[in-house]
Amino acid sequence: MALLACGIATVLAELLVRVFDISNVVALFLFTVVLVALRWGKLAGSVAALVGVTSFDFFFVPPVFAFRLSDAQYLFTFVLTLVIALVIGQLVARIRAEAASAVAGERRAVALAEVARDLSATSSVRQIDSVCSHRIAPLFGAAGVLLQPDAQGRMANVEGAIVSAPSVGGVMHYVPLISPTHARGVLAFRRDAAWTLREDDQRLLESCCALVAQALDRVHFTDEARDTLVRMEGERFRHTLLAAVSHDLKTPLTAIRGLAEALELGNASSPAEGRDMARAIHRQADAMHRQVSNLLDLARMQDEGTHLELDWHDAGEVIGSALAAMDVVLGHRSVYIEWPPGLPLVRMDARLFEHVIVNLLDNAAKHTPASASIWIRAHKGENHLMIDVEDDGPGLPLDVARHIPTATCTRNAPGTGLGLALCHSIVQAHGGSMDVLGGESRGVCFRVSLPIADMPELEHEAL
Amino acid sequence: MNRPRVLIVEDESDIRRFVRLSLEREGMQVFEAGNACDARIDSASRQPQLLIVDLGLPDADGKTLIREVRRWSSAPVIVLSAREHEQEKVEALEAGADDYLVKPFGVPELLARARAQLRRASMVSSGPESSVVCFGDVRVDLATHEVLRHDEQIHLTPIEFRLLAALVRGQGKVMTYRQLLLDVWGPGYADRAHYVRVYMTNLRQKLEAHPPRPRHLLTELQVGYRLAGVVRECAQSVAQNTNFSAATA
Repeated sequence: MALLACGIATVLAELLVRVFDISNVVALFLFTVVLVALRWGKLAGSVAALVGVTSFDFFFVPPVFAFRLSDAQYLFTFVLTLVIALVIGQLVARIRAEAASAVAGERRAVALAEVARDLSATSSVRQIDSVCSHRIAPLFGAAGVLLQPDAQGRMANVEGAIVSAPSVGGVMHYVPLISPTHARGVLAFRRDAAWTLREDDQRLLESCCALVAQALDRVHFTDEARDTLVRMEGERFRHTLLAAVSHDLKTPLTAIRGLAEALELGNASSPAEGRDMARAIHRQADAMHRQVSNLLDLARMQDEGTHLELDWHDAGEVIGSALAAMDVVLGHRSVYIEWPPGLPLVRMDARLFEHVIVNLLDNAAKHTPASASIWIRAHKGENHLMIDVEDDGPGLPLDVARHIPTATCTRNAPGTGLGLALCHSIVQAHGGSMDVLGGESRGVCFRVSLPIADMPELEHEAL
Repeated sequence: MNRPRVLIVEDESDIRRFVRLSLEREGMQVFEAGNACDARIDSASRQPQLLIVDLGLPDADGKTLIREVRRWSSAPVIVLSAREHEQEKVEALEAGADDYLVKPFGVPELLARARAQLRRASMVSSGPESSVVCFGDVRVDLATHEVLRHDEQIHLTPIEFRLLAALVRGQGKVMTYRQLLLDVWGPGYADRAHYVRVYMTNLRQKLEAHPPRPRHLLTELQVGYRLAGVVRECAQSVAQNTNFSAATA
């Protein structure tokens, strides 16, 4: 390149020398040296200086086309020109190198800033992995993946798959991710055999890895804090539940035991009173049975997470079943069902959903006089089936009503909390919601909304 | 008239006691067995007309006992089961049980089921089967496929009729989804319980006075269906039923 540039300079000088004096043309060679050094660096600059001065001698200084010098003055010019050319070449090359390293430094700083920005927005290991493979690895022209130790201490990627050496081509390059507290994992690069890192790239990689390790640290501690919070919530829930349950179970137990003992001792003054006491035992046992059922359901929901036995059910059929079960509890209350024909089947756990309705009816029976009426209405919304259970009893204070479905155990109304909390979590597990409508002064209406999905097509029979 | 013989197989003596007391008040003759071994001996020697069997026996599985009894007896079997095990109930029904009671159960429920099963057994054994049965204000002729409600013809699709016929043939026995699917649709459909539910909803719309609270086409949640209130003396009962509904209306 330097030679080519000198050739071009010589040709140009040949043209100029016809117009200008030879001594002025020397500057053209110095300019060439500057350009070459600027473009191709120190070594090329030096070569250009030597070749330039030589060709100046050869082509322009008389005798032309010979290295012999006719004038001693020219010797001084040559030496001086050569020294100036070399010095300029070196200076220009250094400026160039510094400019280049400044650009590279800025590129790294920008890249690092972007990595830091992306990592600060992550909240899960999966997101961090995505930053590693989509942001960090391309900086080094390789494919990268985040590896963390799994339960058995083997290095696995975020999907939990064990990553081994690549089967075809390439070499794995591993960089440890070490945070101030822990070694968090390894960043693995799959690279070509010829892949090498320059020193400054190596530093950039280390900085990125430190950032990744910090991000992993942060996610780890955030998760831990959340788990602790959930555990504390769970503890508190169990505590309130236990308090509510012990109240709800001990009350009927006390009544049953007392009544039975009174009967045993013959305390009933008349056979009619004896029968009445037996009936009370029966009623209390039924109440206890419902509480125990709720508890078992609740335990089941918590144990198995939200394991539901889902199938397509006619919600009306389930309500019929719940009504049959609650016949005795509802007593003389009139129940009106407004159930338009042609409602779609809903995917639900019928047994649990029956308990939702049983609890809502039980709640209505508890809070209304024996002459009250209860309405069960269904209507289809856009993609929900709405089921309202409404009574015309005295209603609930608004603040209580508003809290009932969400509170795990209402402190204000012991005995009602468990059932309604269960309703709420069952409906939620179905992807639905339960709300209290009205209830300020008279009557309470619980609305259960269940999502409607497309049922698998039936093979329709020919009519 | 001789008293119906009932065998109760249950390991909890208090439960045995109240079942025995309640059934004896109804004029039945009750034998008790505390385990499957005694139950085998008693069911052979006493020839009971009804068995009430707890599924959780100390020495054997209740279902095994039912299968053994079914080999040589057609006496109805009522199963007692704990609430959690829908699948167990279904298995017991498919092993040959006719009905089930969920613990805790009440005396009226027990008596109603026991009476219904005894009546069913006597109906099956008494003479040739008539093709006409009635429930509520509905009259079904299995031979002519004719279904009348309030003496008006009701149009049922072939599948609806086959489903109704399967329940009628069950005569009050709880039919599991599987049994109904096999009977009506065939073996390829055994896991499509929602087919039965869709058609049952249609049947109720056509045959029940108040479909959300059915009185005859009853739901046994997660288990199957049962047809209640089937009678043979049709003309009379339809008339009675019309009178009854007229009186209450």
